[in-house]
Amino acid sequence: MTPKRLNQRAMLCALLCMVLSAVLVSLPIYHFEANVYTKRSGNTFTGDERYLAARAEVDALAADYRARGIETEIHEEVIERLNSKGDKTSLIIFTVSKEVLCSGWDFLKAGFPSARWLIAMLALEALALLCGALGCAGSLNSPWRNVKGSPRMLRRLAIALALAACVAAVVFALYTNVIIHRQISLYAAGVASSPGDRILTAADALIYQGAGGADTAQLLKSTVSSVLPQWWLQLPVLCGMALCLVLVRDGQVARGVTRGLLYASVIVMCVIILYPFVIMFTSAFRTDAEATDVNFQYLFPVRWMWENLSYILGRGVLRYLLNSLILSAGATCLALLCGIPAAYAMARMRFKGRRLFMGFVIMSQMFSPVVLLVGISRLMINLNMNDTLAGLVFVNAAFNQAFAIWLLRGTFVSISPEMEQAACIDGCNSVTALTRVLLPMAAPGIVTTLIFVFINSWNEYTISTVLINSDINRPITVGLTQFAAFSMIQWNYLFASSLLATIPVVILFMLIEKHLVSGLTSGGVKG
Amino acid sequence: MNQIPIRHKWEPYLWLLPSILLMGIFVVYPICIVFQLSFSEISRSGVVGQFNGLSNYITAVTAPEFGTVMLNTVFWVVSVVGISTLLGIVAALLLNAEFHGRKIARSIMVFPWATTLVVQASVWKYIINYEYGALNNTLLNLGMLTQSVNWRSTYVIDFVWECGIGIFVTVPFVTFCVLAGLQSIDDSYYEAATVDGAGFGQKLRHLTLPLVRPSLTVSTVLNIIYVFNSFPIIYTITRGAPAHKTDTLVTYLYMLAFSEQRKGPATALSVVGFLILCVCAGVYMILTMRKEGDE
Repeated sequence: MTPKRLNQRAMLCALLCMVLSAVLVSLPIYHFEANVYTKRSGNTFTGDERYLAARAEVDALAADYRARGIETEIHEEVIERLNSKGDKTSLIIFTVSKEVLCSGWDFLKAGFPSARWLIAMLALEALALLCGALGCAGSLNSPWRNVKGSPRMLRRLAIALALAACVAAVVFALYTNVIIHRQISLYAAGVASSPGDRILTAADALIYQGAGGADTAQLLKSTVSSVLPQWWLQLPVLCGMALCLVLVRDGQVARGVTRGLLYASVIVMCVIILYPFVIMFTSAFRTDAEATDVNFQYLFPVRWMWENLSYILGRGVLRYLLNSLILSAGATCLALLCGIPAAYAMARMRFKGRRLFMGFVIMSQMFSPVVLLVGISRLMINLNMNDTLAGLVFVNAAFNQAFAIWLLRGTFVSISPEMEQAACIDGCNSVTALTRVLLPMAAPGIVTTLIFVFINSWNEYTISTVLINSDINRPITVGLTQFAAFSMIQWNYLFASSLLATIPVVILFMLIEKHLVSGLTSGGVKG
Repeated sequence: MNQIPIRHKWEPYLWLLPSILLMGIFVVYPICIVFQLSFSEISRSGVVGQFNGLSNYITAVTAPEFGTVMLNTVFWVVSVVGISTLLGIVAALLLNAEFHGRKIARSIMVFPWATTLVVQASVWKYIINYEYGALNNTLLNLGMLTQSVNWRSTYVIDFVWECGIGIFVTVPFVTFCVLAGLQSIDDSYYEAATVDGAGFGQKLRHLTLPLVRPSLTVSTVLNIIYVFNSFPIIYTITRGAPAHKTDTLVTYLYMLAFSEQRKGPATALSVVGFLILCVCAGVYMILTMRKEGDE
C-alpha cells in the first residue's frame, strides 16, 4: 500500500474516532436516580386517612423542593399483605426522587472532576486528526510536502494519539463511576472528606442545576444516588476504534484482527497476574484501619505508611530475613558441594549402577518432604538438630539434591569433553579437570542451579513450621505468619513482610527464567 | 565418547559419596522411619511402642473424614493440574507470538511462580474477604457491584477458591515448560504447513500439540506431584475447616500429626501418600529414561 493511501486511512480513522467519541459523549447514557426522601406508610389501606396523611406530607415536601427549583417526582410502591384478621392491607412506600439523564457534555458543564479526562480525550483526538492531516498532506504533491517530520512518522503519531484518546475515554468513564459510586456516598456518610467540596458542588450542578446550594451536602446525605453510567456501552465502540487503528498500521484485515486480539488477551492476562501483587504492595503501606475498612480503601493508600517497614523490622523480621539468608545460602552451598561431584561422575564416567543411581535421582525429585514430615521431625530429634537452622539446611539441601544433580548433569553433558580429555592426557587428574576446565565453562548452568536451589529453600515453608519452634530461628516464610494469627490478622504488617520476602526472589527468578526452563524440560536428557 | 579415563574402579563411587550420604540420611532414612512408625504403636506424647501390625492403617482408613479427604485430594489434583495445563498452553501460545513487550509479559508471568505459597495464599485470603476484601472493594469502585458479595459463603466455595489459587500459581510452570517446547520447534514446519494451506486450527492440532507433547508430559507429571504435595494454600486459607471437609491428604496428615497428636494414623497416611507418589514417580522415571534411551 502506498504511503499516501495509508496516510489517508490514518486521517480517516482519526476522524472516525473523533466523530464516534463525539456521538458517545453526546448520548445521554448516564442515568441518575436521586432518592431525596422516602416515607413508609405503615399498615394502611390505599385511600384511607393514614394513606392520605402520608401522601399529603410527601406532596408538601415535593412542593417545597419545587419552590426551590428542584423538580421531583413521587413514586408509590405498594406491597400488599394480610393482617391477623385476614384483611388485605398495604404497606406503601413513597419515594420522592429526581431522575436525571445526562451526557458527557453535562459532566463537562457541571465541572465534574472526571471531565478533565474528557477534555484530554478531545484534545488528543484533535491532535491525532491534525497529525493525520499533516501526514496526508506530506505524502501529496503539495507545498506541505516539506513540512517537518516524515508522513510515516506523522501517521504513527496520529495512531498513538488516537489510541491514547481511547484510553482517556475509558478513564473518564471509570473515574466518573468512582466519584458517583464511592466518593459522594462516602462523603454523604461522613467518612471521606478529601476532595469533598468540589465534588459536591459539581454533583449539585449536575443533578439539581445548582439549586441545592448550601444544602447540597444535606440533600445528598438523604440521597441514594443510584447511577447507571453504562460505560460498557463504550467498550465495543472503543474496540472498534482500536481495531481501525491497528488496521491502518498493518494494512490487512485478518492480521489486524488477530494482532488486536493478541494484545487484548496479553493485557488481560497481565492484569490478572499482577492484581494480587498490586494489592499486596498497596496494602503493605496502609494503616491497619485503612486495610480493614472497605470505606477507606482507595486505589492507593491515603498516606504511604513507610513506617510499617520499620515496625516489622523491629518485630523480628530482620532476624527472619537473616535466618532465611543463612538457611538458603547454606542449603545451596551444601547442595552444590555434594551435587557437582555427583553430576560430574554421572556425566563423564561409566560405572556399574549408573542407571540405578540415575533412576533414584529422577525418582527422588518427586519425594516431597511434606509426606515425610513425621519421619523428618523424628530424625531431627534423634540427630539433636530439632529447632536449629543447621537441621533445615541439611533437609533443604537433601531434598533439592536430586534437582541440582539433574540440572548440573544436563549442563555438563552439553559441554564437549574434549578439553578435559586433553587436560587428562597432559597429566591432570579428574579433580583438576573438573575444577580447572569444566567448572569455568559450566558457570551459567551452575548459576542457574544455584539460584534455583536458593529460591526453593527461601520459599520453603512446611518443614520449617514443623522443625522450628523458637522465635529466633524462624525463617521469613514462617516468621511472617506471626502477623496472621488465625483470628486476628494484621494485614498491613503481613504484606509488608511478604513484600520483603518476595522482592529478592522475584528478581532472582527473572534472571534465570530462560535457562531454568530449558534445564527443566530438556537439560537432563541430552545424553 | 564423552567419558574421561578413570584411574580406579571405585573412583566414580567416591564422587557420588557425599551426595549419597546426604540423600541417604535426610531422604531415605526418614522414609524408613515413616514405614517403621506406621506399623508401631505411638502414644500421644510420641513414645514409640511395639509392633502392632496394620492397626494404624485401619484407624486411618476407617476415620469418618477419610473418604472426604481422599475425594478432595483427587478433585484438587485433577482440577488444578487439568485446568492449569489448559490455561498454560493458551498462555504459552500467546507468549510465543511476537509482539511488543513480550519480554515484559514473560517476566510478569514469572511472578506467581516465584512467590512463596504462604504469601500467595495470604494475599488471596485478603482479596476474597467479605468485610474488607480487595475484590469487593475493586468491583465496588468500578461500579460493577452495588454491595459487597460474600465470596466465601460455604466450604464448597472455599475449596473451589483454593483450587483456583492452586491454578493461579501452577499456570506459569506449565506455560514455561510449553514455551520451551514451542521455541525448539523449527519455523520451517510452519512455513511448509502454510504453503500446504493449513489453517491456524490445523497447525495447532497436527503440528504444535504433537511437537510440544514431550514437554507437556514432563510438566504434567511434575505438576501432579507438586500439586499433590501442595500444603500452604489450604493450610493458610481454611486449615481444612470445617471438620476436615476442605482438607487434602497432605494437610490432613499434617493436622493429624502435629495438631491432633495422632501420630500413628498420620504415619500410616504418610505411607499411603508416599506410595501414591512412588507410582507417579515411577511413571515419570520410565518416561524420562525411555526418552533418554531414544537418543
